[in-house]
This record gives sequence, C-alpha cells and structure tokens, in this order.
Amino acid sequence: MLEILINAVTLGSLYLLFALGMSVAWGTIGILNFAHGSTFMFSAMVAYFVVQTVALPMWAMVLLGAAVGTVLSVLTQALVFNLILRRNPDLLKAEMQIVVGGIGTASVLLAIAQHYTKSVPFGFSASTFKVATYQLGPVHISNVQLVILVAALGLAGLAAWWLKSARAGLALRAIGVNPEVASLMGVDRSRMALGTMAAAGALAGIAGVLLTYYLGSIAAETGDSFLISAFAAIILGGIGSVAGVVTGSMILALAETLVVTQLSGTWASAVAFGLIFVVLLFLPRGIFGRKEVRRT
Amino acid sequence: MNMRKSWSRSVFAVTGIAALLAGAAGCGNGSSEGTQASEGLPETITIMSIKEMTGPVSFAGENSTKGIDLAVEQINEQGFLGDTKLEVELKDASDSTQEAASLATQAVSDSTYSAILGPGLSSQASAISPIAEKGQIPVVYYQAGSDGVLVGDYTYRVTAPAHSYYHIIGDYLAEKKVETAAVLYTSGNPTLTELGENAVPGVIEDNGVEIKRSDTVANDTQDFTAVTSEIVKADPDAVFLLLLGPQNPRAVSQLKQKGYDGEIIGMSTMGAGNLETAGEDAAGVVWPSNFSARSEVPSTQEFVKAYQEKYGEMPNNYAAEGYDAVWLLARGIKEANSADRTAIQEGIAKVAAEGFDGAQGPLTFEGNDVRVEGVLASWDGSEEVVITLGES
Repeated sequence: MLEILINAVTLGSLYLLFALGMSVAWGTIGILNFAHGSTFMFSAMVAYFVVQTVALPMWAMVLLGAAVGTVLSVLTQALVFNLILRRNPDLLKAEMQIVVGGIGTASVLLAIAQHYTKSVPFGFSASTFKVATYQLGPVHISNVQLVILVAALGLAGLAAWWLKSARAGLALRAIGVNPEVASLMGVDRSRMALGTMAAAGALAGIAGVLLTYYLGSIAAETGDSFLISAFAAIILGGIGSVAGVVTGSMILALAETLVVTQLSGTWASAVAFGLIFVVLLFLPRGIFGRKEVRRT
Repeated sequence: MNMRKSWSRSVFAVTGIAALLAGAAGCGNGSSEGTQASEGLPETITIMSIKEMTGPVSFAGENSTKGIDLAVEQINEQGFLGDTKLEVELKDASDSTQEAASLATQAVSDSTYSAILGPGLSSQASAISPIAEKGQIPVVYYQAGSDGVLVGDYTYRVTAPAHSYYHIIGDYLAEKKVETAAVLYTSGNPTLTELGENAVPGVIEDNGVEIKRSDTVANDTQDFTAVTSEIVKADPDAVFLLLLGPQNPRAVSQLKQKGYDGEIIGMSTMGAGNLETAGEDAAGVVWPSNFSARSEVPSTQEFVKAYQEKYGEMPNNYAAEGYDAVWLLARGIKEANSADRTAIQEGIAKVAAEGFDGAQGPLTFEGNDVRVEGVLASWDGSEEVVITLGES
C-alpha cells in the first residue's frame, strides 16, 4: 500500500509540475493556453538536441528548458494572444479565440517537433546525470523521483506564496478577480500578462526536462496526453487556486493508480474522469474554486 | 525530393516528345507504334504511394519511402521491366483517414495509376481497401496489421503479423530457463490487444511457462510506475512488453528503476531505434522481429549493403517492408506483362503463390498476407543485434 501511495504521489507530482504554469495563467490573466503541452515538449526537445552535442548536468538542462519555455511562452503571448485580445473588446469572445489560437500554436510546434524527431522518442541519456535507484524497505525510489517530488511541491509552494504575499502576485490576483478594477488601480495588465506567461512557460520548460528525465524519454505527442490530465486536475481543484491544482493533481493520480493496480490500465482514464465528473456535480467550481461574478 | 520532381518532369518531357514523334510517324506512314517499350508494357508505369510523411507516424512513412526509392532505382537500373520505367508518385496522407481514402479514390479514377503502395496505419488501410476492391486496383500495404485490411484479391500486405513468427521465442525461453512470466500490453490498439490476449499467452503457455500477471495500459499512458511496481512484486522470470513504439523505452526504463533484473521480451515495435533513449537500461531486451539488418540471410544482406551505399545508414523494418512491397509489385507487373490493373493483380497472385527472397529474407504468402521466418533481435545497450541461440 505504501508503494501504491508513493507511486500515486509521484504521478500526481508529474501532473502538478505540468499543470502549475497552466493553472496560474488561467486563474489570473484568464488565458487557457492550449499551447502549454507543446511548450513543455518543445523545451525538452531543444534540451535534447543540445545535450546530444554537449553533455550537461541536470541543473543546466533544467535552466535550459526553463529558458526555452519562457521564450516560447512570451512569443505566444506577444504574437498570438495579445493580438487576439487587442482585436476583441468582448472578453468572452476573446477567450474562445485564445483557445483556438493556443491550439494553432500547439499544432505548429508539434509539426516542427515531429519533423525534427520523426516522432521517435527522445531522452537525455547523453546527460551527465544518471538515474540511481534506492531500496527503502519494501519500496524502490529513484533519485529523479525525489527531484520530481521536491520540485513539484517546492514550485507549487513558491507560486502560492508569491500570489498571496508578493506585491506583483497580489496585482495578478486582482486581475483574476476583476481586470477592469485592477486596471483602474494602476495594474498594467499587458505587462503582468507577459510576465505571467513567461513564468508559466518557464514552469512548462522545467516540467518538460524533469519529466523526460523521469520517464526516460518522451515523444513529440507526449505534451498532448499530459494536457488533458492537467486540464482535468485544474478543473477538479478549482481554477485559480494553487492548493486546488495540487489537490486535483493528487486526486487524479491516486484514482488512476488505484485503477491501474487494482483493476486494469484500460480503465484508468475512464474511472478517473468519471470520478471527477461526480465531484463536479456536487462542487461545480471545483474543490477550491472561488465564486465567479460576471458583470454584464 | 526536388531531384525526384525534376527527374519526373524529364520523364514526362521525354514521354511527351516520344508521343509527338510517334504521332508524327503514324501520320506519315499509316502505321501505329504506340508507346510500348516491350511487349504489353508501356514506357512508364506509374504507382501512387500513399504514406505517412508527416504526423505522429512519419518515422514509418519516411523509412518506408527510402526502401521504396531504393527498389525503384534498382528495378529501373537493372531494366527488370525491360525498357519500361517504374515511377512512384508520393502522396502524404499524414495520419488522416479521410485524406488516405480521398487519395485512393483519385488513384482509382485516374487511369495513369496502375497500382497503389498503401499506408502503414490500419485505420487508413481499412478505409482504402474497399475503395481499391471496388475500383479493382492492386494495393500493397506495409504494417497495417488489423483485420479488415486484406478484404479481397486486390489487397496485399508485406508485413507478416507478429503471431505468425512469435513462436521463435520458444527456444530462447527454454535456454534462459524461464518458468514464469508477466504480460503488459496496450489495450487501445487492436493488433497489440490480439497479441496480448491470445497469441503471445498461447506461445508462452505452449512453452510450459506460467503467466503470473497480465496487465494493460492505454494508448496515451506515459507513466508506467504503478504497473511496473506491481509486475516487479510478482517477480516473474520474464516480462513480455507488447506496447506502442514510444512506450517501449519508458516501460523498460521504469521496470529497471523498480529493480527488475529478469528477462524483458518485446515485439517488433522495439526496433527502428525506439530503444535508443533507454540506452543501457534496455541492454539485453529481446524481441522476435520480421526483419533485422544484422540478419545473415543473403537477400537481407544484399538489401542492407545497397541501402547503406545509398543512404549511409542501417535500414530498419519499415525500409525493408517498403522495399519488398515494390519488388512484389514489380514482379507482378513482369508476370502480367501489362500495365492493366487486373492483369497486375493476377501477376502478383502468381508471384505470391511462389514466394521470393526479399529484404526480410525468404517471403511466402498465406493468401495475400506475407509470412517470414523471423529473427530474434536484441538491444545490446547501443545498437540492435541478432541473437543466435546457443552462443549466449
């Protein structure tokens, strides 16, 4: 049972790492970025091509992934989402177009990655970091598993603290509650949006590199699979809440792990998403979701 | 690709000039020579190749096309069809079933095309086959292992189903004294489900091995931590992995991370460089395959040598299958001595009845479906090798 729990927490940490940046951007500046999965994958792919020529340690690979993720995310914001927002005063319409814009950006990044990798899996076996496994009683745990757990919970804690206590974080939350009032209070929405997307991209890049280390390899299409799980975890936990995305990720992972170990992997997604549906019937805004007020 | 375009433009130009000259000659002396290069065959026979050149399975389409190009080059250089040149027009259907069906419909309605080299995706092949049967145009597929792909006389396949050669693992199990096993397969894929539920358990039990666990994962499963933990707890002597290509290195790495040190046995999806990212973790992984570039079969080695000379790299199974598909078609055309579609189909049927030596070794056919002897391939930590039992 202890091993099942550790495996579930590890899977939850994978989902959390992936979903954290997406959740922060969605919950604050209202951007549901469907290019997040491709940013995640593309950052890992660039790191892969670099490590094929220079053997880098894990920390350098993580920094590289974060840098690539930041650049991609900022470009997506500046060249896609900002243009949509400028041309659409109606936020509801703009949100729909942002979703489509994100899917379009994701498709471009995916096509580039498929072209360069031929959809063959890629990993970091050329890195100087080597995976080691430790036996703790009946449980096997690897060094990269520990890094994933620490990174996921550490980054989630950092994001929660920053949003709650830092001045910029408070301004960001103000945008999430009411963009018009926040703007009247002197919050520069465009600048904050760019900064938030940069942070979300960095988180996607870090997740891409760490998950590639943990899984051994990913393929161009891996980001899409995680995107659906992350989307579910955010909805379950409640949009805009770091505690929510942590809880959502862990519940989703625990449900999937229990189904895989006790029933069959075929049913993992069906049962897990069924459970989410049931939870949302009783808590429509998610577990930690805030009440939304829309003014006409 | 540009070279091919300019080459095909030249062929069209030459063909056009030849036709004009023939027409002029016909006007002059009243005779009609036509464009026949040898008896019954025109100067050019055009084949449509529908492949996955972009999208998630582009690795298969690209490699298959390399094998096709090599075969076409050899056939034309050798004058295998006399003065007749074989020309392949490549069409990218990516992973779209509609696009593949639309291209097949185009091939049926355009009499320029004598046959189709089909895609490797079962979904696309299943959509093309009824169109081809109705339009009576021969199609030769690679991969596309599902039921419903070979539906009549006009549809052929050059990738042997894994269940037809998987039994070669039996001697390996005996040599390694494997007594217990676990099976993990991807349940979202019909070919892998058939293998995981029936074919492979049948082979395992035929060899007196007890199956301790059988687990499934979905098509989009990324993390194998939970399922590999359960498998390792059962402590089987061997784990059979029947997974989609990109899932293999992840499952192998995570089994090793969980401390598993028994035999890991897979299938042909482990080839084509898919284990490369698992590196040393995958050393010793074994799988029965329809093709290995390391096989010592003479016809395989001839193909490998020619492929290396042309591309400077080792071929994989997709390249070998593409190569064999073209040679099956060319032999059928030669047998038919005609560019007529029905005649070519009958020619292919005759060739299939006799079999021939191809890149995958000696090829025989069961109906319209190829059969191969199979080889036992293994990953040695850095490259694919062939195992000869008794030496390990």
